[in-house]
Amino acid sequence: MKMNPCAAIIGAGRTRFTEHWEEDPKAMIGMAGIKAFESVDKGIKRNDIEAGFFGSFLYQVTNKIGLIPGYMSRELGLNVPMINTEAACASGGLALHNACLGIESGRYDTILVAGFEKMSDRQDKIIDDLMFAADPYEFEAGYNFPGLYATMMTRYMYEFGKDDFRCVEALAQISAKNHHHCIKNKYAQFKNKGEISVEDVLNSRMIANPIRILHSSPISDGAVALIITKPEVAKKYTDTPIYIMSSQEATDHVSLYTRNKITSVTATRLAIDQSLKESGLTIDDIDIAEAHDCFSIEEAFFLEDSGFYGEGEAWKNIYESYESFKGSGHIPYIKNGKELTVNLGGGLKADGHPVGATGIRQAYESFKQLRKEANGNQIDREVNTAMCHNVGGTGGIATVHILARDIQ
Amino acid sequence: MSEPIARRNLLVEYRLRSTKCLKCGNTYFPPKYFCINEGRSSKMLEVDHFYKKGEFYSGSVINEPTNRFNHLDTFVSAIISFPSSGVNIPGRITDYIAPKDTDVKKLIGRKVIPRFRRSHSDGKDGLIHYSSHNFSLESDYYPHQKYETVKTTNINGKPGIVGYGVYLPKFRIKNHEPAMGVIERSLPFADEDTTTFAVESGKRALIHSAIRNQEVRKCFVGTESSPYAVKPSMATVIQVLELGEKMNGGFFSGGIDSQFACKAATDLIIDAAGLVAYPVFQGKYVMVIGADNSQASPGDRLDYTVGAGGAALIFGRDDVIATLDHYLPYTSDTPDFYRRGGEKYPKHGGRFTGQPAYFKHVVTSMKTLLKQTGFKNSDIDHVAIHSPNAKYPVQAALETGFEKKQFETGLIVKKIGNLYSGSSLAALSAILDIAKPGDRILMTSYGSGSGSESYIFTVTDQIVEKRKRNISVKEQIENPKKEYVEYHTYRKWKEIS
Repeated sequence: MKMNPCAAIIGAGRTRFTEHWEEDPKAMIGMAGIKAFESVDKGIKRNDIEAGFFGSFLYQVTNKIGLIPGYMSRELGLNVPMINTEAACASGGLALHNACLGIESGRYDTILVAGFEKMSDRQDKIIDDLMFAADPYEFEAGYNFPGLYATMMTRYMYEFGKDDFRCVEALAQISAKNHHHCIKNKYAQFKNKGEISVEDVLNSRMIANPIRILHSSPISDGAVALIITKPEVAKKYTDTPIYIMSSQEATDHVSLYTRNKITSVTATRLAIDQSLKESGLTIDDIDIAEAHDCFSIEEAFFLEDSGFYGEGEAWKNIYESYESFKGSGHIPYIKNGKELTVNLGGGLKADGHPVGATGIRQAYESFKQLRKEANGNQIDREVNTAMCHNVGGTGGIATVHILARDIQ
Repeated sequence: MSEPIARRNLLVEYRLRSTKCLKCGNTYFPPKYFCINEGRSSKMLEVDHFYKKGEFYSGSVINEPTNRFNHLDTFVSAIISFPSSGVNIPGRITDYIAPKDTDVKKLIGRKVIPRFRRSHSDGKDGLIHYSSHNFSLESDYYPHQKYETVKTTNINGKPGIVGYGVYLPKFRIKNHEPAMGVIERSLPFADEDTTTFAVESGKRALIHSAIRNQEVRKCFVGTESSPYAVKPSMATVIQVLELGEKMNGGFFSGGIDSQFACKAATDLIIDAAGLVAYPVFQGKYVMVIGADNSQASPGDRLDYTVGAGGAALIFGRDDVIATLDHYLPYTSDTPDFYRRGGEKYPKHGGRFTGQPAYFKHVVTSMKTLLKQTGFKNSDIDHVAIHSPNAKYPVQAALETGFEKKQFETGLIVKKIGNLYSGSSLAALSAILDIAKPGDRILMTSYGSGSGSESYIFTVTDQIVEKRKRNISVKEQIENPKKEYVEYHTYRKWKEIS
């Protein structure tokens, strides 16, 4: 591992992901922010914050607000530079990436990074609003978001799964695994739902063949905040900063139909490749990952696009990893004895997916796991490196962050 | 969606327009006006896919659509690839009711054909958005037709019909017992309306006539179920079929939507034939379309006779398949059937629509034209009469002295219902499908309010050569791929349209 992190996370806070019917989105981000401040071991003053980077997708449509920097200035009582980032479901990841650039450039030493989304304000209209993250011709073709991912899943199953029912089961196992992971996560949207079985997934409501409701992440409200600093000053605030070893972003066509392939996500491949190079790691050096499982097929793509499994091979390995798992802890993916545990808090599927908050939530979960602060949901093996993978739309953008605790 | 967005979208979506770099061959959908390889030195060619065949690449059954498409219930959205041009285009599979447990993998590789359909509307008082991002499976109901122009040989002859096209939707409803002789009827799919019928029948007429679309300079659409109270379907037909020479996204052609109940289109046949012979008219051809999603109040007796579809005739003087030889209109102010502005369904005068309205005008028009021309009934080979049901035209024909063999070919109403403005044109088309050179055809329409006109056509040798490009009315009526729906679905789809 290279020894030159681009930033360090010194504090993190979040709200529960659920339907916060009565909460104001600005208040949610305030709650997450306060928790992030309170989590800084040695304390931090509000005035130490030199800039704010925020991620949100649909606030103008769903919440009827704009000019997020102005709202945040009022909430925080600060007049520092504030920047809002919109990159659909990768809004949070991109806000974190931009904040890292702010640190790396030398402009700022300490930044508040937050993501939020308050989707329940639009109730059933949100299904149309989410199509802003797709190409308008896809919207005109009748597509909704599950349909777009279902189109990728159909092609994946056609090319690689053929008619092997284990492929169908493997993609359901991803959901079952992520629900299993969320049960001890007190912030997770489906914490109280309990375990779901593969059969539950395969018998759940079909929303866009072959995607069923239990292959899909929910509509959620929530906010997450991080405080990041330049690495050199991190220990002023905590003895256990989590270092951001790499922060990368890559893009691809917003439209699925203009891409060369729809059975993988090019932006993910590029961002992970750059991220591993930047941090001097290989995918096999990564202990845990937060993958963007907006639909379970996307987690399978992550496993292939990251190089952990070969092209078209993820489903077989998912199946074997799931079937061979015994115990009550986190269910890892296995490759030649190497374990990669993915979505420890339940991922988008079970922790929830308030779109703009997700990328920050991934860093929050990794921060907690790497600091062994995940309480009842702490992974039961020693882990030191984490990868956070956040995708916008159907892959028009991907951000990847590699986090590590001990870098000496 | 705002009006400017609608306008710029339709320029791409009506014809599925892409671009191709003439230097490196790269293709782009959505169209780009510079090539990523060639940059500012790009030379881009516009390519459209309106008449092309695509292939199902991958897709999904959308069981829980966006609010925009909620009216369609369950449908398949897909990526369609066009190997001939190297582009992929997103689209919706139309005329296809996918079971919820459909294995979409089984659709991969199926050939599909673009269809011009309604995609959605901005509420009840907003814009209606149409596109060709809708595809029917090639092996399901519709054969694929190429549009190729053929050099004309017999030019500047007597005005007449140079081509025609009929469009009957795939879906039908059966009457539990025949209603005035009508056994089953066509109905619009949930994404069809009068404008889409007009486009589809016009498209077929262009294919059949094999003329250049640029030379059609006038388009009349007769209908009494226009989707807009103010905004002509005709302009949509011109934009989609590119009638007239193109300039700045518009076309040097004109036309109107006309209204005269069921004879809104046929009344303009004489005008079309007159125009093509008029020296000031710059085009060679005029298109006349009759199309309707025939309206009837739920449960009314008309609700068991109304059909849906369209028919288009192209008039000109080159390679005419049937010359227009005689014409006689007859009109009176007879309030037998009417719909007030803002009202959804027409009202009618019950039995008053019969003898003092339909029969008086139809029979008077036919008998008088025969008398004027000196033709005996036996000089006429075929008779096509506006068919509100299957009894009226038979009675009118018999009353005029015609025999069953003369009118039975045109009596298609039994299997498709009353097409309103398309009724007599579709009946004429069914006759043209089988007519021999030299045959004489009498067509008489009727429009409530009231009027009737009779035309006599004589079939030429050209009809035989052009027939190979036709999808006959009989083929459409008897198509084994047609699908039946129940009354609830029929009413629902009719209301959406």
